[in-house]
Amino acid sequence: MTRLYTILLLMCLCITAKAQEHRMVDGEHHVDIEGVMVTGNRPISDIGIQRTRFDSLALKENISLSMADVLTFNSSIYVKSYGRATLSTVAFRGTSPSHTQVTWNGMRINNPMLGMTDFSLIPSYLIDGASLLHGTSSVTETGGGLGGAVQLQSNQSNNEGFELQYVQGIGSFKTFDEFLRIGYGNSRWQSSTRVVLSTSANDYRYRNHDKKINVYDDQMNIIDQYYPIERNRSGAYRDLHIMQEVYHTLKNSDHIALNAWYINSNRELAMLTTDYADDTEYNNRQREETLRTVMSWKHLRSSYKLAAHAGYIHTWMAYDYERDPGNGVMTTMTRSRSTINTIYGDVDAEYYIGSKWLLTASVALHQHFVTSRDKSLVLQDGNKGVVGYNQARVELSGTVTAKWRPSERFGISAVLREELFGNDFTPLIPALFIDGVVSKRGNIVAKASVSRNFRFPTLNDLYFMPGGNPDLKHESGWTYDAGLSFAVGREGVYRLTGSATWFDSHIEDWILWLPTVKGFFSPRNIKDVHAYGVELQGDLNVALAPEWRLNLNGTFSWTPSINEGEPMSPADKSVGKQLPYVPELSATVNGRLEWRKWAFGYKWCYYSKRYTMSTGDLSLSGILPDYFMSNITLEKSFSPKWAELSLKLAVNNLFNEEYLSVLSRPMPGINFEVFFSIAPKW
Amino acid sequence: MAVQMTRLVRAYHSVMRLVALCGAAALVSCMEWEYGTEEEFQASASGLFICNEGNFQYGNASLSYYDPASRTVENEVFVRANGMKLGDVAQSMIIHNGIGWVVVNNSHVVFAIDPDTFREVGRITGLTSPRYIHFVSDDKAYISQIWDNRIFIVNPKRYEITGYIECPSMTMEQGSTEQMVQLGDYVYVNCWSYQNRILKIDTRTDSVVAELTVGIQPTSLVLDCNNKLWTITDGGYDGSPYGYEAAKLYRIEPEAFVIEREYSFTMGSSPSELQLNGSGDKLYWIDDDIWEMDVTAEYLPVRPLIPYREIYYGLTVDPRNGDIYVADAIDYQQQGKIYRYSSTGELIDEFYVGVIPGAFCWK
Repeated sequence: MTRLYTILLLMCLCITAKAQEHRMVDGEHHVDIEGVMVTGNRPISDIGIQRTRFDSLALKENISLSMADVLTFNSSIYVKSYGRATLSTVAFRGTSPSHTQVTWNGMRINNPMLGMTDFSLIPSYLIDGASLLHGTSSVTETGGGLGGAVQLQSNQSNNEGFELQYVQGIGSFKTFDEFLRIGYGNSRWQSSTRVVLSTSANDYRYRNHDKKINVYDDQMNIIDQYYPIERNRSGAYRDLHIMQEVYHTLKNSDHIALNAWYINSNRELAMLTTDYADDTEYNNRQREETLRTVMSWKHLRSSYKLAAHAGYIHTWMAYDYERDPGNGVMTTMTRSRSTINTIYGDVDAEYYIGSKWLLTASVALHQHFVTSRDKSLVLQDGNKGVVGYNQARVELSGTVTAKWRPSERFGISAVLREELFGNDFTPLIPALFIDGVVSKRGNIVAKASVSRNFRFPTLNDLYFMPGGNPDLKHESGWTYDAGLSFAVGREGVYRLTGSATWFDSHIEDWILWLPTVKGFFSPRNIKDVHAYGVELQGDLNVALAPEWRLNLNGTFSWTPSINEGEPMSPADKSVGKQLPYVPELSATVNGRLEWRKWAFGYKWCYYSKRYTMSTGDLSLSGILPDYFMSNITLEKSFSPKWAELSLKLAVNNLFNEEYLSVLSRPMPGINFEVFFSIAPKW
Repeated sequence: MAVQMTRLVRAYHSVMRLVALCGAAALVSCMEWEYGTEEEFQASASGLFICNEGNFQYGNASLSYYDPASRTVENEVFVRANGMKLGDVAQSMIIHNGIGWVVVNNSHVVFAIDPDTFREVGRITGLTSPRYIHFVSDDKAYISQIWDNRIFIVNPKRYEITGYIECPSMTMEQGSTEQMVQLGDYVYVNCWSYQNRILKIDTRTDSVVAELTVGIQPTSLVLDCNNKLWTITDGGYDGSPYGYEAAKLYRIEPEAFVIEREYSFTMGSSPSELQLNGSGDKLYWIDDDIWEMDVTAEYLPVRPLIPYREIYYGLTVDPRNGDIYVADAIDYQQQGKIYRYSSTGELIDEFYVGVIPGAFCWK
């Protein structure tokens, strides 16, 4: 309880800079504290929407971080990390990672084979805008987000002439991060090229509590045992990202844009803490090459907007597990290859009828072509064979929305969505949103929403060999949201905002992969889940003194996620229990203190214990205790006439916490990284 | 100026209070590691070890010990006795000359333990992906593997790998050797994953001397009271490039190494966990229900011994009294349950063990 009080105390103090405008003028940092938005100016497009926005400060505060790290320290959603620079998934409100839909410039980028998105492969340096759509609110943008949706955006920077920025980061565990941005722009054209190259041996040391080293005498009797200090074995990585963007404004003020993002990732998969193998004898490696491209066109007029997107995603993934059998040659044990090609198209329209009505419609198409080859065989007749599958699926999603704000105090919005996956239509997906001003004093606004939603099985769920289950039903759910928000402040002095949201969702036919008697796993619709709880957010931006600025923000969430399905057998004790790997409590606090050209940042997050069993039982073999995590940064900027320079020190895991996010996957202790940034003034 | 100074001091105090709070929160942040303690055990003279596989890649395998006389169970005895985890996927266990040998597949290790105290006495490492261990003598044991086309030869006294048995017509990627039984100088092993053979190994030369083709994917192998080998296949799966057929039970004459009789299941059946009773004259297996058959039977039984009630995952028969123990892994994410039945199928006892109980070992 002491920890809970501590969290609540921090929440009372918490705050931040999400809403601030952060700009560079003549080399000086200026933090403007906005006045409080007049309640009547709430945009009609956001009626009832529960959205968390991240500005560039949150995204770029430490540019070496992935979006997984950004979300860990800036939001209430749960980030499950298998290690440093290793698979990291996010989940809203007690749902699973595949219940989170992710879009980049409007195009859905969830892996169609797995359903989820690896956020460790999304550098925050490449993302200019991000927002979370919680629960029902995701229906306005995409289907399938039973937990919510993450929107990632690249935005044009309005340059006049050339822009260049180079950042070199050097950190613990032989980590080298390099960032380059070259831009050019004029009134009609903007071009930006961004490159991120991250390499690391990633061999951090940790005390392995899961095994002991034996000391034998000559008769092979154990005379001593100890917990070894080990290194993260086989965890090296090299990730390259190149992003090219071109923006053009036509003479008729239409906008067209091209965004292309190439990823080349080569990562070893670190060994478990319970693995006694010699890492030099094994190669356990995952490689990925992905190209994502989106072309977009926007036609904006005073009363209507038309937009269209066309995109293409190519992903090649390889997993190799090899062993040296003693002859010095790595020999294949598992060789898996997957190729995904996705064609994307989208058309959106918005039409305002006066100032009180907004009608929108959109249709989005994703056509996937997937080839998965997981194992090579010698068949019974001596010929060669391959275990895998080759499938294509069309995914079509259409929506119409009517938003009505009859007075400045009240708004209502209705959404209807229909989806087609392969040959299967979902039932109609309805959503209803309302908001209203409870009090102009304090700008207190109440919001509420309700929606139905569905998620289709992934291609692996249906077709993976062996185990794919083509008879799976889609998951379905009802979600309800209600909340209050407030905003107070005085321009140039302080701004305080906050919100509290209650949510309640029921998900039926939850898909889970279970072992079979034939030795492989197979998915089944087995669980009904009731996820509910509360999310709190607070932001404070205050001018402490003429040259002092303090920004604080915090989140807190309470997310019981309870299995309410039928018992699988009379012995089943999981009904009524919290789902495994879903923390019931989580919290974050972020602070940034600026004085002249100095900036100090503090990040803190907390996850309560996660059960590893569906019954919520704790065992010595499967415990993931709660943990707090603290990171700090200290930055000094310099502004000679020829360039903008900055030097930054980042300290991660400040208190050298020994912690785990996933069983048997050690996380690094205290570690450091120094960044040097240069941006010439042309 | 004074006003500004006052504001500055206030700001400073505000910041320091916050930093102190955050620091305090972080300083009480240590994970509650439960390690370093080692319990003293003294197990009963006879009992049953249960290997709980745990979830693949989570490293939460565990070992349970059940005393049939007192009907008591102790769970997680390995970690409690040794202060360290058993590992990832506890596959099998045998007892030889008063030492228990626990094969932990994805930890690439075989632990040797004292079956009374559950304390480790040694370990064999350097294995590819161990499945079962079989003792040829006190100085030599074989360890079968998956993802390796070799059976490892070890010296269990020195915990050393001393050699390999190359398995013919098997790549490393498709390598799969499983359960081993011995008759005279020959050890027989079934090849399971995308395989269809039984191999015969001469223990004097440590080499494969013969192979016998059976149905697709023989999952288990036993030797009955008449010195006949029995294996049961699962028939593969629908869509498998290796083939999909009806599962079969085979009786094999080991000396001539020929199939004496085969019994065919209906298409879609998935029999597994072939076991014998203590006298070696009755066969048992799981095929949704629990089935029993005399080794002299001409046909498969038409009625199960224990009708389907749970999702049965593991099976063993008490060699002393014929009691039948069945493991229910439930949802594979919680403590599994063991049901103890009499030899006539009456429920005697039930108890929870670890996650995914899959293999048993009688002490």
